Amino acid sequence: MSDAAVHRPPPGPGPLRGVGVVLRRELGAFFDGAAAYVYLVGALLLSSSLFMNEFFLTARVDMTPFFEALFPIALFLLPGLSMRLWAEDRRTRTFELWMTLPLAPWQVVAGKYLAALGVWCVYLVGTTPIVVMLAALGAPDLGLVASGYLGALCLGALLLAVGSLASALTSDQIVAFVLAVAVGALLYASGHPRAVAVLDGQVPGLGRLFADHVSALPRYEELVRGLVSLSTLVWFGGTSLVLLGLETALVTRLRQ
Amino acid sequence: MIRAAGVTRRYGALAAVDGVSFELAPGEIVGFLGPNGAGKSTLLKMLCTYLPPSAGALEVCGHDVVRAPLEVRRHIGYLPEHNALFDGMRVRAFLRFMGEAHGLRGARLAARLDEVMARTQVTDVARKRVRECSKGYRQRIGLAAALLHDPPVLLLDEPTHGLDPLQVVAFRDFVRELSPGRVVLFSSHILAEVAQIATRLLVMQAGRLCLDAPMEALRARCAAEGRDLEALVLDAVARDREARA
Repeated sequence: MSDAAVHRPPPGPGPLRGVGVVLRRELGAFFDGAAAYVYLVGALLLSSSLFMNEFFLTARVDMTPFFEALFPIALFLLPGLSMRLWAEDRRTRTFELWMTLPLAPWQVVAGKYLAALGVWCVYLVGTTPIVVMLAALGAPDLGLVASGYLGALCLGALLLAVGSLASALTSDQIVAFVLAVAVGALLYASGHPRAVAVLDGQVPGLGRLFADHVSALPRYEELVRGLVSLSTLVWFGGTSLVLLGLETALVTRLRQ
Repeated sequence: MIRAAGVTRRYGALAAVDGVSFELAPGEIVGFLGPNGAGKSTLLKMLCTYLPPSAGALEVCGHDVVRAPLEVRRHIGYLPEHNALFDGMRVRAFLRFMGEAHGLRGARLAARLDEVMARTQVTDVARKRVRECSKGYRQRIGLAAALLHDPPVLLLDEPTHGLDPLQVVAFRDFVRELSPGRVVLFSSHILAEVAQIATRLLVMQAGRLCLDAPMEALRARCAAEGRDLEALVLDAVARDREARA
């Protein structure tokens, strides 16, 4: 028997189990302190209070105003979630620890990203009492509500992909936050009717071009209005995957 | 078990490691000696696949560090110089995570955790957070993490840095216990420390390997020439410097 056979390491965690290991660690790290609960409660209070204000003014049994207000709020909420994903590891040098485990960079990227998306899902679940309240007061269109939640999930997937890429670019969480907010604001504003009109006024067709190909806002609004189409879902999913692919390439390059 | 052939690592125009070649076999405890900036940590980072070589071939247990990095990482236990750990985690949870990341699970993981925590004497801090542990404990936690998956190659970068004298003695004994069937490669810039534990000495100077010899042969040479080990090593370093000049 060779000496190598005396010490026989396990065969590694496998692709999906490896992602799961990272996901559990990152979720554990997030929920390990009071900051996570403060974040979630604060986010729920902010978005719910904005909706309730609108609800009392219009007295409509409709959750659309909640989802319409969610995009600008999410521009700040989601970078708050994603800013620590890599920046913290780079600052504390645990980046080296990640990159010497028998996990491929894509597994670590996916695990961290899914953990952040999981927290966003916890937040969305926390907003379901609004649905219960509306159902108790009248008959909301549950299909429209479901479509709105799908839009919120797609929005979270996209902005967290932007935020985790921003986090991989720097060891400073504040810089990562600001960068993610800036890119998110571009994805929002480039589809806003006023911005489109201003751009079209400067260069005819430019505003429309941005709205059609760059902005997430028109696509998000489609989902909020109950228009679920495969092309919209593919756009959100595909853009998020491209950003995660760039992040994987960046993380791989960082260790070199 | 470890084979390096003409390994070079450049940062721009600077060669941090310059054409280093050696082969290490199981059972060897290799002291990796050199002043700060000699290239020891860079070479260890290449061995653990964190940095790719700019030129040359580097293999661990028959796996190339560039072509099969995950296979290499399965076969190594690595304690980095700064030993950065997930400070917010509790010690046992951190080690459990490290075991799971290497593919351990179930009863085997539980058994390895108990065994390695007992051997590295971290059981009494199992429920503490890593950030609450002293420097000595942190080194032992890092060592436990490196050993959990029973790797045939152990790479330890300045492992005794920050340990008190009693902990250094305990570390030496522990490394001797670990060495059968393994390559233990540990870096240091203190010759006396290396001499007490290593079976082979590698000395680096400005990125190049200027001495590679079994400790027994070096001791025999010292006895024959009536010089101490330090003088012998310094002589090798000076000759290398002259050869380059």
